[in-house]
Amino acid sequence: MNAVPTRAVPWASVSDDPMPRLACRSDTAYLDFVEGFREYILGQGADFESRLNAALVAEGERRQAPLRDSRQVREFLRSLPLGQLRDRLARTQQEMKWHTIWRSLDQQREALRDELARWDTRGPGRLELDPGFVAPSYLNVNFHLQPGGYYHDELSGFLYHYGTKIFFRGDNDHDELHDKLVGKVPAPADGKVSRVLDLACSIGQSATAFKRRYPRAEVVGIDHSAPMLRAAHRRAAMLGDEVTFSQRLVEDTRYPDAHFDITFAFILFHELPQRITQATVREAARVTRPGGLFAVYDFSPTKAMSPFQIYHRDFDAAHNGEPYSQAFCDCDFDAILARNGFRLAAEPAASQRSGGVGYMKHWFATRD
Amino acid sequence: MTDPRRLPQYPEQTPEDGVPLAGPDPVYLDNPVLDATVRMVTELAAQLWVERERRLVLETLLAERGILATEAIEQYRPDAMRAAEIKVERARFIEDVFKELRRI
Repeated sequence: MNAVPTRAVPWASVSDDPMPRLACRSDTAYLDFVEGFREYILGQGADFESRLNAALVAEGERRQAPLRDSRQVREFLRSLPLGQLRDRLARTQQEMKWHTIWRSLDQQREALRDELARWDTRGPGRLELDPGFVAPSYLNVNFHLQPGGYYHDELSGFLYHYGTKIFFRGDNDHDELHDKLVGKVPAPADGKVSRVLDLACSIGQSATAFKRRYPRAEVVGIDHSAPMLRAAHRRAAMLGDEVTFSQRLVEDTRYPDAHFDITFAFILFHELPQRITQATVREAARVTRPGGLFAVYDFSPTKAMSPFQIYHRDFDAAHNGEPYSQAFCDCDFDAILARNGFRLAAEPAASQRSGGVGYMKHWFATRD
Repeated sequence: MTDPRRLPQYPEQTPEDGVPLAGPDPVYLDNPVLDATVRMVTELAAQLWVERERRLVLETLLAERGILATEAIEQYRPDAMRAAEIKVERARFIEDVFKELRRI
């Protein structure tokens, strides 16, 4: 099956925007402020990054040894008032965001609960929840400081949707980022795309982008979180995209061998302990057919980062609920892919918006 | 006193290895008073934007519909009931901005 051009997101044809509504205009305006403030402190407005990176480079020159180690950059930047202030503001904007989103959605809890229930059994697409599912303990983390993490709140999917809207600073309000990333994934060399698997699909934005790109393919999004999957199914059904959302673990998908033509993992691996990363790549190798493609988008290795990016990674790990990200950035992911029978192709440069030049990276790997 | 706006308690996190997570209320500046001050300034800016955005919408709608001139806003005096309601709003505003004082 050949790829067809991505069609426009059919906003005009749906009655509602799938983005969860907030309780009142004031909440929307408050979060609009947080989005702009986040852009200001992470971007060129406050200009923390270039000033702190210059300080790190100058300190490396002074010591006649570049600062590349997490502990070194942390100790140095936290000795600077500018570094301390940047950390305070980075943490505060996250706290403001979650506090307001949670409060605003909680005020509408019953209505949102009913809405999820209404969509659970409606098509197109299908929702497969496993009533006996028990989340492994490594997943019990408030990633990005999200209250209740990914699965402890019945509204986790809605919280995540609005939270990531702010995180992406207006670049993904209508899933533009996911559409762009999925658009960059090359088809397998033989052009055959009958089945696509989105690992840890969260609210399904990549999965629906794949469905639009390959309308005749069966697209499956899996995730451990039932609240995420319910929000994903609601969103996809509202948009008219026929996708199956299924509650499964990325390291043990229970799909047959060589079942998928494309397996996709969007910012997944930095949220897994290393032993699960190894198991997940093994599992991706098992379920991706020979000649099929494993596409990964995630943080760049530490060795490719600027001194400030090394610092930002370290800060995010401890202060933004990303405990496993440091180990992922320090690991040799290319080697893990190669050990599991994947052949790497040249990848396009990633967007410079997220974390600056070189912070994010694509891996496009073909199954031997 | 229960603060209705505090987030609910979810189960204790159980990260497996990895970088130790900072606690719920880390201090970044030289002392907690400075941290609270930065939080208050940031909150104040957010609250100010909420108000400004609403006022812009309101004034635009009122003018577009020919209902109210700007001068009428300047001349307005609330009756007793409305004045009491505005005082409640004022207390809520002060709480939003200065709740940090309880964290020190």
